[in-house]
Amino acid sequence: MTRVAGSTRAVGSALAALLGTDALVEDAGVLARFAVDGCTPRWLARPSTVDAVARVMALATDEGLAVVPRGSGSTLALGAPPARLDLVLDMSRLDRVLEWNPDDLTVTVEAGVALGALAKRLGPRRQFLPLDPPAADTRTLGGLTATNASGALRVRYGALRDLLLGVRFVQPDGVVTWGGAKVVKSVSGYDVPKLMVGALGTLGVLCELTLRLHPVPDVERTWLVTFVAAEHAQGFLAAILDSALQPSRVEWLNRAALARTGSPSAAAALAVSIGSVEAAVAAQGAIIGGLAAREHGQVMEAPVGWWDAYAQRLGAAPVVLRVATLASHVAGTVTDVERRLHGACVSGCAAVGSLDVSVAAGEADVRRAVDGLRAHLRPIGGHVVVTRAPVTLRQSIDPWGPVDDGAVGLMRAILSEFDPRRVLNPGRFVGGL
Amino acid sequence: MLNSQLLGELERIVGRDGLITSPEGRLTYECDMHTFYKGQPDAVVLPASREHVVEIVRACRQARVPIVPRGSGTGLIGGAMAPRGGVMVGMNRMNRILDVDLANRCATVEPGLINLWLSRAVAGRGWFFAPDPSSQMVSSIGGNVSTNAGGPHCLKYGITTNHVLGLEIVTGHGTLVTLGGKVWDRPGYDLVGTAVGAEGTFGLVTAVTVRLVHLPDAVKTVLALFSDIESASEAVSAIIADGIVPAALEMLDDVVIKAIEEGIGAGYPKDAGAVLLIELDGPRAEVEVQAERVAALCRARQALDVRVARDETERALLWKGRKEAAGAIGRVAPNFLLQDAVVPRSKLPDIMRAMRGISERHGVIFANVFHAGDGNLHPLICYDDQNPGELERAVAANEELLHACIALGGSVTGEHGVGVDKATKLPLQYGDADLNFMFRLRRVFDPDGVMNPGKILPSHPACGEGFRPERPALPAGTWV
Repeated sequence: MTRVAGSTRAVGSALAALLGTDALVEDAGVLARFAVDGCTPRWLARPSTVDAVARVMALATDEGLAVVPRGSGSTLALGAPPARLDLVLDMSRLDRVLEWNPDDLTVTVEAGVALGALAKRLGPRRQFLPLDPPAADTRTLGGLTATNASGALRVRYGALRDLLLGVRFVQPDGVVTWGGAKVVKSVSGYDVPKLMVGALGTLGVLCELTLRLHPVPDVERTWLVTFVAAEHAQGFLAAILDSALQPSRVEWLNRAALARTGSPSAAAALAVSIGSVEAAVAAQGAIIGGLAAREHGQVMEAPVGWWDAYAQRLGAAPVVLRVATLASHVAGTVTDVERRLHGACVSGCAAVGSLDVSVAAGEADVRRAVDGLRAHLRPIGGHVVVTRAPVTLRQSIDPWGPVDDGAVGLMRAILSEFDPRRVLNPGRFVGGL
Repeated sequence: MLNSQLLGELERIVGRDGLITSPEGRLTYECDMHTFYKGQPDAVVLPASREHVVEIVRACRQARVPIVPRGSGTGLIGGAMAPRGGVMVGMNRMNRILDVDLANRCATVEPGLINLWLSRAVAGRGWFFAPDPSSQMVSSIGGNVSTNAGGPHCLKYGITTNHVLGLEIVTGHGTLVTLGGKVWDRPGYDLVGTAVGAEGTFGLVTAVTVRLVHLPDAVKTVLALFSDIESASEAVSAIIADGIVPAALEMLDDVVIKAIEEGIGAGYPKDAGAVLLIELDGPRAEVEVQAERVAALCRARQALDVRVARDETERALLWKGRKEAAGAIGRVAPNFLLQDAVVPRSKLPDIMRAMRGISERHGVIFANVFHAGDGNLHPLICYDDQNPGELERAVAANEELLHACIALGGSVTGEHGVGVDKATKLPLQYGDADLNFMFRLRRVFDPDGVMNPGKILPSHPACGEGFRPERPALPAGTWV
């Protein structure tokens, strides 16, 4: 690659030559709309091929540009504000479904395909990608993978780490790389797809993803079980987990979350879904009723559309936290959150101890609460990640929280190996990486 | 040969009874179950604690001596063997269950623990450890983690990596690192997912936190008989395409059926051209409905008969036959090569037709017993090493089959791992850039190249081990 002079103008010309003028935006008004945490990029690149992504990244590495890849732009407030920003790489034009093999239950998509668009394609064959993070219909699969987004369905189907079979990505220096396989079972070489899930695009720009699909169950029904105290909800959760039930969702809702979804008021509730053949759904529903009664729970069947309301529960809350606790400690963790953040909406995948907290509170209060929660969860190995918050708050607190020294040392070494010049998302990831 | 200083150091660490240096003692450790590949370690050490392991790695690293981990030695890839000599670390003494936490559906164990022992320890309370390689009564969980082992029921439950929450490893730096743990989510790279399946090239595993799964409400095992393997393959594809994911979906062909029946007699019909062993588990009503759908799909694909195991004894016998199939093949031929390639499961009929052609062209017998539901082939390619030319023909047939699988969009290994056996085959599936990425990843964990060298990645003629790094290595210890 020939080096170009580092001036904005020269780099801009080089980018235009690589991408064509329709894929490069230098208009100040448009660029302002693509600012990340208040940093306005010098360029917006909108490649529509993997090759174009590769050429942009090669140039970015040569010129030491800081690049932030972008999907739908919904989750750019995850992580610390970027240390530098020169170029936003808008991946939304890579939006083709490349290869769908319904008889194999696999699909290969470009990273800019939206989750909702994929669902529409797969639906008629009664197949789906079992991934349901809050309000994710317009989010791209690349963005969902880079941020390791997850929702209620993970209790049955796993998270993205379990669904991603293969991945094509562009390394920071522009080398197009493939990891994994297009078949449902493969252990050939290192499990590179696992490394890319949740890496926030720091090791490569995700371009193509091969995903495992699942059949849509014949019938799905949801029971909402409300309790007068969180301890009873915890008891019910333990009973569900220690049973042969095969729930597809086991979500915890505190009082605020119940209000947000238009559900009956209670101290705590669990929403349990069963997806199967009709007779098996009914039989498991009866068992759920029995287990609920033991904890004095009130059982109602959730109305049609209840999960859609649930998906919107975080709304436009200025602050969202992802709290990782143990399944055995959900009630205690929720109570602790409520004590520290008055009025917080707490909900999430109780079976794996993954909770979303949304709240409108002053920055000082949030900072104090996050510090307190982290200290509270440290003995059991829990974490608090600030997934959405105003820039000023994310500048004054580590949004990721502490990571074990040994693990973070390895992470730093991996990053220095693949992105020594810190081209991709500098400063945004854990430990200031 | 190791120098006496290192040997003295190893003896100080593990004690005299934990160090094996005699030629006859080391002979036991010269290969795994892929006896084709042999390589004796210069010494074998048997640590009893994570502290031992840390000290062993540090001593070997300092002496620049290869370190090769070994569990039960039941691998099938030339993994737990020492192609370049060095020190083999047998994890068998570290076999305790450290913690069982059913409220959080997990257990923490030492790597030498036998897979089945964990399931036995929690079965009484209604739980099990889902990954079930056929070797599970002897293979160790550390070995399962290192190879990312699969098994028949992985079709529904996922392979080992889907069941590992946390790892404690000693990296090639000699540093003890805790990755992941009981809490499912944590910020940063998924180093647990990255390290599972690394076959000891990132580090030695000293503890594993695994998920436990609740035993299902009901289990139904269906045996479907077909006149030939192609029609059985069509049935497999039809079941998956219909949206049914059984707990297990296994195929056995006529050669294997005959061998099993002449041996332990598991109750497979001797005259069938192929059988499908289909297990459905879960809520009783679901199992009933799915069993009927599966039976109908098999009949529509010309199944000669569809039977359901009447009781647990009959079910256990069918599975015993399946799990001991490879051993039974000894009745057919004294030697065999075992292939572990994968094809997209909709391509099973194609690969089975291709296999028939390959078999005829090379004049070798393929005995098929495999995880049909996820397209993971396990043909046993039979030969007799006393007959000149047979091995060469078997090797050529194996090679041709592997290429055919890749041409259909498959993988060179589905669950056994890479070892030395498949290291040279990775370029069929990956380009130089992809392999280079893996090489660099490995170097982060093992800058000196002492961790199980010669395994997983192919050698590059220009630099001996792995692909040539693009940039000089980082100075050791920059991040420690």
